[in-house]
Order: sequence, then structure tokens, then C-alpha cells
Amino acid sequence: MKLQVERDPLAEAVAWTARALPARPTAPVLAGMRLQADQELMLSTFDYEVSAQATIPVAADEPGTVVVSGRLLAEIVRSLPAKPVDLATDGTRTTLRCGSATFTLMLLPGDEYPTLPDMPPTTGSVGADAFASAIGQVAIAAGRDDTLPALTGIRMEIADDTLTLVATDRYRLAVRELRWTPVQAGLNMAVLVPARVLGDTARALTTGAEVAVALATEGESAGDGIIGFEGGGRRTTTRLLSGEYPRYQTLLPSEFSAVAELPAAAFAEAVKRVALVAERNTPVRLAFAPGEAVLEAGTGDEAQATEAIEASFDGDEMQIAFNPQYLIDGIGAIDSDTARISFTTPTRPAVITGKGEGQPDYRYVLMPIRSAG
Amino acid sequence: MRLVIARCSVDYDGRLTAHLPAALRLLIVKADGSVLVHSDGGSYKPLNWMSPPCRLTEQPGRWTVTNKSGETLTITIEETVSDTSVDLGTDPGLVKDGVEAHLQELLAVQLHLLGDCWRLVRREYPTPIGPVDIMCRDAANVAIEVKRRGETGGAVSGGAVSGGAVSGEAVVSGGGHVEAPVSGGGGHVAVEVKRVAGIDAVEQLTRYLDLLNRDPLLRPVKGILAAQSIRPQARTLAEDRGIRCVVLDYDRMRGIERDDTLF
Repeated sequence: MKLQVERDPLAEAVAWTARALPARPTAPVLAGMRLQADQELMLSTFDYEVSAQATIPVAADEPGTVVVSGRLLAEIVRSLPAKPVDLATDGTRTTLRCGSATFTLMLLPGDEYPTLPDMPPTTGSVGADAFASAIGQVAIAAGRDDTLPALTGIRMEIADDTLTLVATDRYRLAVRELRWTPVQAGLNMAVLVPARVLGDTARALTTGAEVAVALATEGESAGDGIIGFEGGGRRTTTRLLSGEYPRYQTLLPSEFSAVAELPAAAFAEAVKRVALVAERNTPVRLAFAPGEAVLEAGTGDEAQATEAIEASFDGDEMQIAFNPQYLIDGIGAIDSDTARISFTTPTRPAVITGKGEGQPDYRYVLMPIRSAG
Repeated sequence: MRLVIARCSVDYDGRLTAHLPAALRLLIVKADGSVLVHSDGGSYKPLNWMSPPCRLTEQPGRWTVTNKSGETLTITIEETVSDTSVDLGTDPGLVKDGVEAHLQELLAVQLHLLGDCWRLVRREYPTPIGPVDIMCRDAANVAIEVKRRGETGGAVSGGAVSGGAVSGEAVVSGGGHVEAPVSGGGGHVAVEVKRVAGIDAVEQLTRYLDLLNRDPLLRPVKGILAAQSIRPQARTLAEDRGIRCVVLDYDRMRGIERDDTLF
């Protein structure tokens, strides 16, 4: 293999591909990144769960395929000067030259490198930026421990041209609906994608205008358990999670006894300030009355904080307590200057949405904490 | 168990000599003969003590405790505030890892946490190198059969479909030994239950699986490591060996109701 490539596209492609390198490779070759050079340069990583592939449109002087340590390549390329990079393979090693710096990397056995899974047929496409922000809005609510493995996923529900993303860790639930362009009309299905992978993927795929979603929907490979995403010369596949997902629709309150509206940024700031005195696992308490919301944290035996902010409030006076971090997450996730909180009772979930008419496309359902005080 | 609260001074004479000036203290005389002098602090640690075998000689105002090597603990009592004796009977002993035993018991009756339609063979299933916590049979093979013969008109029940999802996971992680249907349906699965699973738990289960898989009536036997928490290294090793990892929620299994969650 022999080729010359600009540093910037190489650095971006290597960094993207390196994200799928396993932290604890069970076979040494899995710690490698495969470089396939021909009419274009293709970089691949795979750990049997997640695969990543990036393509750089650069023709090789001599085609060839090598596998080198992925982590090392990523670190080297990241710190190279802004000059063209020469890659050349000679026997058992690859030499990387950039400016006056030279690196020699040992080759890993390329014939032991696993075959990457085929990309399923494209199911539809969605705007890259809209997809990334929607995933970001729901990923915060996904579970992080493996007690209930299904909750570490984001549920993607496809109903014709509506894509619904759902995540919950049992304490909060985030639901986002967005439009997408399915390849075929009338498709109805739901899959569970690991939230960590999907979060990373969505952020990294914003280099292209559109993200193609690839999911086996029928025939032999249906339910094969992988999903693929592709955009801007990059593609990734991941195994789907199995397991039963809670019936989240029943958790969304439909009627409310009170509604408050607050400026989102000021509200989040105030919660952060007041929460400084809240010991771990203790709530911030909110009291809503017409025109005002009073935030409180801490107890009489410890430090205490209180702050009042302006709020429009409609309904019976409400005293309710939340985990401060979960509350801040929710206020930060709405795509609006005004946060609307809808209440039923102080012991039932509240719903945080942006201000707007009709059904909001993003809802953050938060379970209150029963406050002793 | 005799508990005496007294104003006393204590002199120890043995490998070293030590003196405690007069003060109110708790003197404990245990049934095994040990004598301990406690102050109202210092947690579990006595100020001075004599371990059995030793002999306590009581004279008015003076206790002398002597052990085999001739060391003595002399307690000079100025005033006795209280002197009580209670027969505590035989102690059942410390049950180590009571949680682990309870987890095993709970999991044995909640096999649905591992997969739908799984059946218990028995707890503490014997092997030549010690008992396996839980031996059970999965629904995987049944589901696979239904799936493969689906075209010939076999009805796919809801249970079989979800069993199929479980088997799909097992195929990938278990190195693919699902082809042979076991009579009675369901392959054997050996479950090792731990509070915290480390590398040694994986090694332990691997040894059991090695032995169990030599039995033609049992094999193929798959493995599950079920624990409240699984160390990342242990998970990597287990999954590399085709052992499935399951994280258990003890509170939920015990049926402790929580009021701070959505469901």
C-alpha cells in the first residue's frame, strides 16, 4: 500500500473510526484499524457489536490493505502538523511520514480481521442536524446501568413518516417525534438501539446533510438485529438490544391540574444555584403560585438556599420536589426559550415541554420526589 | 455473658506493663472465659483484654485474670454500679453473604428475569467440584424449532417469539450450539449468582461448565453469570467465553416498592 492524503480529512476519518475500537479487545486484532486503499481509502473498526467505516476520496499509488493499532494511529494522526501525510507499507510494517516526522507501525494480521456486517437496505433518511439534536434530547434520559438492559437503549418507533424516539431510566422519560423520509410508505416498526452508540453516531454524522437509516424490515434478514447509519462518507452499524420496553404511552399524563411557564435559561440557572446546598439524592423543592415560583433546597440542620423567580402560573397552588440534576437536564433539553411545566399532583409525574400551541414534539416526563418537608 | 459497670483501675503485667487509672468502665466476662475492659468510646476495641484460655479469680474489690503464659490482668474495683448476667445461648454464627443466598433463592423463583418460559431444574445442582447455584432449562430450542418450521404451518405463539429473541442473543454470545434440540425442550443453563462478580466468578462458572458439558445427558450447558454488579473485566472475559451476564436488581426482586420511579 502506498498513498498520500491531506492531514485534515485523514484526522477526521481516523478519529471517527476509532470510536468503535473496543476498550478491552478479546482478540488482539480487534484493537486494530483496517486501512483499505484502492480508488479511495476506507478505514474500518469492528468489535462484533459496533462497526464504523469512513471513506476518504483519495486514490492509492499502490492499492493494498493493512491493519495497524487503531489507538496509536488515532493519537499519531491527531498530533500531526498540517502537512500531507504519506503512508507506505513495506513487509511487516507501515511507515507514516508527515513533514519531518516519521512513524513506523507494526502490522497486525489482516487475514484474522473479522468481516464487517453488511449494511441492511436503507429504510429512510432524516436531516442530519435535526436527527442529532433529537437524539441529544432523548439520550439524557436513557438508563446507564445494566440492571434493565432494555433501558440503556433508545427506542426508535417508525410509523410511516413519523419517527418517535423514546428513552427512560425509570426516573424520567423523554419522547421526541420528528419527520423523516421513509423509502416505502406505511412502514410500522420499533427497534431498540444502544443509547451510547446512537448518541455518538448522531453527533458525528452531522458532516453530511442527511443520515440514511438502514434497517432490515422484511425477508430473510428481518430481525437480524443490526441497524446502520450512513452520511457524509461515514457509516456505522450496531447490534440492536432485545428485551421488552415499558409501555411508555401510559406514563404520559393526558390531563393536568396546573401549568407553569418560566424563562428556561433563568429557571435552569436558579435550580443550579439552589441545588448547591442539596446533599446527594436530596431534592430541590418548588412552590408555584400565580406570578411566582419559589425554589428551595437544603434542610434546617444543614445549609439552605431559596430563590424566587417570575413565572406565569395557572391552576391550584403546587408544591413539588425534584431531583435537581434531572430537572436541569429536562429544562436544558427543550428547544425553547420558555419552559412549560404541566402538573397533575405533587406525587404524580410532571411534564416539561417548550412553549407552543398544540401537541409539543418533545416531552420530558419527570417523577417527583416525595418531600418530607 | 456478664456485664459489670464499675469504677476501676486496671494493671496489665505480661509482655509489657500497662496501667489504666481509676474510672467508670464496662467489664465484659464472656462464656468462653475472655475478659474485656471497655470505655465509653473507641468503637469495638477494648482498652484492655485477656483472650481465652484464661482464669478469672474474684476477690472482694479485686479481679485477677491469668493466662497460660502467666500474664496477668488485675482489675481493682472501687465501686460497682451494675452487675448483670444474661445467658445468650448458642449463637447461630455469622451468615456470610446472606444477600447472595437470598439472591439465589429469589432468582430460582423469578427465572423470567433470565428468559420467558424458563424452568428450574434445581438449586445447588451438584457437580464433583461443588454445587452450581441454579440449574435451569431455557426455552431457546423450542423457539428455534418453531421458527425453523414456521412455514409448515406451526403456529408461532407470543411466548415462542419472545423466547426467540432470547435465543438470538444466546446464539451470538454462546458460540452457536443451539442446533441439537434437547428432549423435553430447552437446553440446560448453569447460573452462578454473586453479589459482585469478578474474574474469579467467571473462572468458577467456567470450571462448572467444563465438567457439566462432559455429561452427554446435559450438554450443551450454557452459562449465565447473574450478579448485582459485574466488574467490566469479568464481563469481558465472560462474554468472550460465551457466558451471558445478567445484572440483578435485589430491591426489585425482593418486591420493595419504590415511589420515586415512573414505573
